[in-house]
This record gives sequence, C-alpha cells and structure tokens, in this order.
Amino acid sequence: MNDPEVAQLLALIGTVDDTGALRSLRDRIQEELERKLPNTSVEQFYSDLNEVHDAIVSRAVHLAEQEMARTGNGFPPVPYAYLLFGSGGRSEQTLSSDQDSAMLYEIPDNADNREQVEAYFQAFARLVVDILKTAGYPPCEGNVISTNPEWCESLSEFKRKLNRWFEEGHWEVVRYLLIVADARMVAGEERLIQELKDSFYRDTLEKPLIVRRMLDNTMKHKVLIGVFGQLLKERYGEDAGSLDVKYGAYIPMVNAVRLMAIQAGIRETSTLERLKKLKEQNRLPEEADKYAAAFRLFLKLRLLTMERNEGGMYKNNGKIAGDRLTAELRRDIKEALKAGKKLQRLVARQTASKLM
Amino acid sequence: MVKKVLLTVGALLCLFPAMAFADEPSAGMLNMGLNTLWIILAAVLVLLMQGGFILLETGSTRMKNAGHVAGKTIFTVGLASIVWWAVGYGFAFGTGGNAFIGLSDFFYSAPLVGTDAEPYSPTAFFVFQMMFVTISLSIAWGGFAERAKLSVYLIFTLIFSAVIYPVIAHWIWNADGFLAADGAQDFAGSTVVHLTGALAAFAATVLLKPRIGKFNKDGSANEILGHNQVFTALSVLLLWVGWFGFNAGSSLSVGDGFFAYVAFNTQLGAAAGAVAALLISWAFIGKADITTMLNGGLAGLVAITASCAYVEPWAAVVIGLIAGVLVFFSVKLFEKLRIDDPIYALSVHGAAGIWGTLANGFFATPELAAKVGIGEGGLFYTGSWHQLWVQFESVVICGAFVLAASFLVLGIMKAVMGLRVTEEQEIVGLDLSEHGNYGYPEQMKKAQQNLNV
Repeated sequence: MNDPEVAQLLALIGTVDDTGALRSLRDRIQEELERKLPNTSVEQFYSDLNEVHDAIVSRAVHLAEQEMARTGNGFPPVPYAYLLFGSGGRSEQTLSSDQDSAMLYEIPDNADNREQVEAYFQAFARLVVDILKTAGYPPCEGNVISTNPEWCESLSEFKRKLNRWFEEGHWEVVRYLLIVADARMVAGEERLIQELKDSFYRDTLEKPLIVRRMLDNTMKHKVLIGVFGQLLKERYGEDAGSLDVKYGAYIPMVNAVRLMAIQAGIRETSTLERLKKLKEQNRLPEEADKYAAAFRLFLKLRLLTMERNEGGMYKNNGKIAGDRLTAELRRDIKEALKAGKKLQRLVARQTASKLM
Repeated sequence: MVKKVLLTVGALLCLFPAMAFADEPSAGMLNMGLNTLWIILAAVLVLLMQGGFILLETGSTRMKNAGHVAGKTIFTVGLASIVWWAVGYGFAFGTGGNAFIGLSDFFYSAPLVGTDAEPYSPTAFFVFQMMFVTISLSIAWGGFAERAKLSVYLIFTLIFSAVIYPVIAHWIWNADGFLAADGAQDFAGSTVVHLTGALAAFAATVLLKPRIGKFNKDGSANEILGHNQVFTALSVLLLWVGWFGFNAGSSLSVGDGFFAYVAFNTQLGAAAGAVAALLISWAFIGKADITTMLNGGLAGLVAITASCAYVEPWAAVVIGLIAGVLVFFSVKLFEKLRIDDPIYALSVHGAAGIWGTLANGFFATPELAAKVGIGEGGLFYTGSWHQLWVQFESVVICGAFVLAASFLVLGIMKAVMGLRVTEEQEIVGLDLSEHGNYGYPEQMKKAQQNLNV
C-alpha cells in the first residue's frame, strides 16, 4: 500500500464493529481507489484493491466469530481456515467480484462431537456470507461458497474428497480441482490450507491422466481473435459490438497459466506470480515477459468493463463496450490476444507431449 | 391369379394385336413425348421446392407464427397458379405483344396433346412456367415474414403473378422481349425468378419495418433465432433436390442429354456455396455458423441458376464459392443497414442472383453460348466486355423495374389498407391473430399461460 489515504482507510477496516459500517467503508475506499486509478500502475491497483478485499473478508470472519459467541454458540471449537477461490484466490478481484469461498476446519477422525462442530461451522459460514453480502459481494452463481455443505468441511473429509475427484476425473470434478488450485487463505490457520495443497500437488503428480482432463477444461474458452487477426466481438443483443474480456481474454490466460503452474508444482495463486515462477524455472520460452504484459493489459481491461449495481451488489458483465475500444487500444488488445492464443497452444503442446 | 391374368392378356393379344402394337409413333412424336415427360417431371420437382420454402421459412421464424407461415405458402401457390392461368402467362409468354409485354393466351386454353412438329406439348411448358412464378413469389414472402397481414399476401399475390413477374419473364425469356433480343443469358432464372422475388421482398421489408425486437435503440441488432434448425437444413435439401428440375428442366428437352450437364454444374455450384459459407463464417466469427452454411448452399444454387448451361465445371465451382462468401457479407451488410431480413432472402436470392447473372459475363464459354443459342462467350474467353455489359444491363433494368413496381404497389397498399398487423397481434403471433389456431397448440398455449401470469 503506497497511498497514505487508502492505507488509513484500510486500517479502519480492522476496527469496524458492524456490517453497515463495513459496507460504507468499502464504498469509500473503492471510490478513493477509482479516483486514483489513472495515476496508478495496474499491478499496484490490484494489489491495493485486493488487500482491501482481504481485509474486509477477514474482518467479516472476525465479526461472524464475535456474533457466534454473542449468540451463545461460543468460539470456534477447532482450528479453521477461511479460503477464497476464483479471482479472490488469485488476488485478482476487481471492484465487483463475487464470493467464491470455503470453510475448512480440523477435527480428529475419532472426535465424538463431530456433528456439533459441523453445525457450528455451517452457522458460522452462513454469518460470514451474509455479512459479505451486506458489504456488496454477491454469492457465487455456481454455488462454490462456504454456505454450501460441500465447501464447508473438515480437512480430512476434504482430502478424501480430493482423492475421489482425482479418481473420478469427469468434467465436473475437474472443474472443482482447478478451483481448488487457486485457493488462498484469508483468515484462520495457514497450516490447514498447506496440508490441503500438499495433498493436491501430491495427487496431481501421481495422476498424470487428470492433467489431460484439466487441459480440456483449460482450453474450454477460446481467445477472441480470428484467423485474420480480427477481434471477435459480440454480434447480437444489447452488448453487440462489445468484447468479452473476461471469458475471451482474461480467463483463457488464467487457465493456461494455472495448468502450467500446477504441472510445475508452483504454489503461487496469482497469475502474474505464477508467470514469474514459471520464468524462473525456465518453463517458458523466451516470451515470458510478453505473456505478463498481455495479462497486465487484460487486468486493466477488466477494470474498464461495464459496472452495474444490482440490488446493492457490485456486479459486472465482463465485457468492454465497443465505443471504448480506441484504435490504439484495439491494436494493443490484438497483440495481447495473439500472445494469449500462443500461450494456450504452448500449454496444450506441453501437456500433450508429457502424456505421450 | 397371376397365371389367369397372363392367360387372359395373352389370349386378347392374339385376338387384337393392335393393343400391343398401335400405330408406330414417328420419331418426332417420340421426341415430343419424351421432352414433355421430362418437363412435367421437372415441373413436379420445382413444385416440390415449395416444401423447401415452407420448411425454410417456418424453421427460420418463431413457433408462434409457424402455422401461418407454412399455410400461407400453400394458399398463395394456389392463388398464383390461377392468376398465372388467367393473365400472367399471357403477359409473359403471349405472342401478339411487343418487346415489353405479351398479349395473347389469356385464360390459357391448354392443348390436349402435342404434335410431332412441336418440341414438347405446350401444356407442359405452361405448367413448368407456372411453377416458376410460384417460386419467385415464395421468395418474396421472406420480406413479409412474421408481421404482414394475411390480406396483404392475398393482394400482393394477385399483382405480383399477374404483372410484376410476367413482365420480367417476358423481357428475358420471351423471344420477343427486348433483353432476350440483346442476348441476355439467364438460363433458369437467377434474375427472372430469384432477383425478382428478392427485390419484392426488399420493398416489403423496408415498408413493413423490422420485426419488434430485431434492433435496439442504439442500432445494434438482436438475433431472432428460428425455432427449428432441422427444418431449415431439411428445407435446403428439398430445395436442392427440386433445383435439378429448376435448372436441368430448363433445358426443356431430353435430346442429346445436355440437361445432365446442367444438373452436374448445378451440383458443383451448390456444393461450393455451402463449403465456402461455412469456412468464411468460421474464419470471421470464430464459430462455424450453421445458418450461414445453409444460406451458402442456397446462394450457390441461386448463382449457378443463370450460368449452369453456359460454363465449364471449374467455373461452376468458382461461381458457387464466391456466392457462399458473398452471402455471408451480404447478411452482415443488411443488418448494418438495419434492414430486417428474417429468411435472408435479400442475400440468398438477391445478392447471389445478381452475382449469378453477372457471372455469365465472365465465365460463359462461346461454345456453350452457341449451343444454348443465346448471347456470346464471357470476358474470360472472348476478351470482350459485351456479354458482361448485357448481363449488367439486364440486372439493372429488371432490378429497377421490380423495385419501382413493388414499392409502388406495396406503398399504395400501405396507405390504403396497411401492411402490418398490430403490435399486440405481432406479439401474440400470427397463428392466433390471422387464423385463430396455433401451429404448435400444446407448446404455445403453455407459453401464453406463462405470459398471462
């Protein structure tokens, strides 16, 4: 954090005592950050913004913990970790990102108060999610969220589930595995997520076939550039003429880099960090910097996508309007998309050759 | 039982050998009969294309209009046939007129039989030509789809098949016509049938204005998807099959088998159109678009229609390929101009019809032009711009006439009776508003209930 005003506001988050104040503080900080956006580098902006998001989630967990105690449920009976997935996990949240989360807790297999502990954490997770909703974070549409019992589990249970997913390997569980790869802890005990990740990376190395399935999922979204080097924009509907930056540029690159990182055993979750590590390990040919530059542009474009406020939630359709694409920007985007496409091909080639 | 029949027939043949060996027909009579058979067969194939149009237009539009869209095709084919018999044929192919219009054979009194001095029974020719006017009319309906009143279909059928189409047919296909005299080559009707229909569709869609919901306030287009892509694909196959009657049948003779060559070129043109369209859409929008591919096949057919008897096989492929690419960009252009073309008639029949007619000016070979007996070879063979100029002239003159006539007729109709159903009727669908029953009663009643809740 290099901005004193924002740093001051950020420090306030740790002192807020009610959810309404948390929301108004978020609004104030985001306004402040947006105001400073033109004079900030994109990496600095994301770093500041995600520090803020992390602080808010962390505070929400703390407030929920207090609330649980105040309502007679006591403090958490066992160690836990509150995890973020998706853009939260990758520290790439925009001004309007939703909640993808999990609650992980540690309970011995032979404990006799298992049901009580489960019930405690389910109530606890519900509180956290509610507080964050009030703070303007819409719940995950795919239901990957800590209120879903599937994502509110004990570590041992979760590890068993991971093993099962690695065994099954059909499209749905492959999606979950890739989600877990981006997991990052924002509140609780770091040790828990480390154990989970140890298990994840061990299994990945033992089951090379799952990587093949991960590749199919990774390549699912096409980079929106045509064979003539033209931008593939939306053709119909109210977004006609706009470019789907989220699914046509940002996500394909996130996916490609993630798969390379998983195969290299890189534990970093942010895409730029992953790229940096990949470069250090010499897993990227000459053009690592080009990929990072392309990704930085996509991060920047994500901030230009259409913001909406729906029912008090910060939302965003991930598309950049056609009239905001100046000739210069279009040229840069095309270059970046070409790099993205090249990276996709690279990861496909690397993964396929490994399995031969 | 079989034995008894054979026995009886055998006995009778012994008694009356004439039953088996009637008067030996002359070679001329046989030739006439064979040609007549082929023309009637071709006419039936062209009629089958109406099945294609029914599926094409229905498949490309929404469920709530399905019964109306399908049913009105049968109705207008019937009405146009009667009008053609009464006056259309006389204006088009009548003799006692001038370079602009024919003036005989009204309420055509069809001869019972042909003679050995004629190439075919004139009745067969009449029936064959009758099918063509109904095809041109069905193409025009593409511009009316999903919003014109049923009464508009009725009135426009009368005028189109009585005057607009016959005049163009006379100019190009009647030996008296002034474009025919100039040597305009349009073997089976890229201009006469397809461009004429498409320009009537253009006038209609401009005067009717886009369907509700097709364009947004900022000018961007919405995709109003047809309700059944399988119908649309089947329709293309039906049209493709029927097109062999359309093109090969236009040779009007069995004779030396030239019609087979025409059929061969037809297949090449259609195939190239479908392939080119799919590839171009894949390259440009990143997805291989089925609708574009289907339109490409049809565009290939439309384009090769004028030239199928005049060009070499390689040229048929080139003509089809260009038609397939052309249709893709034409659809984009009309959308940009905010012209709603629900069935893509303007692009498939209009743009490809113009291209097909002009293509003769480039690709027609002198030998084939001499064989058909109309015009001369194209630019690539003769180095002369003459045929291309004649083709261009026929497109411009016919196009201008059809556009002016259609705008005039529909413009008057719009002022007097109105062309379009009310917004409420359009929303509820023409099945209900014009006919009182849904084409898909179960599905639509359910949808209606949801709408009311």
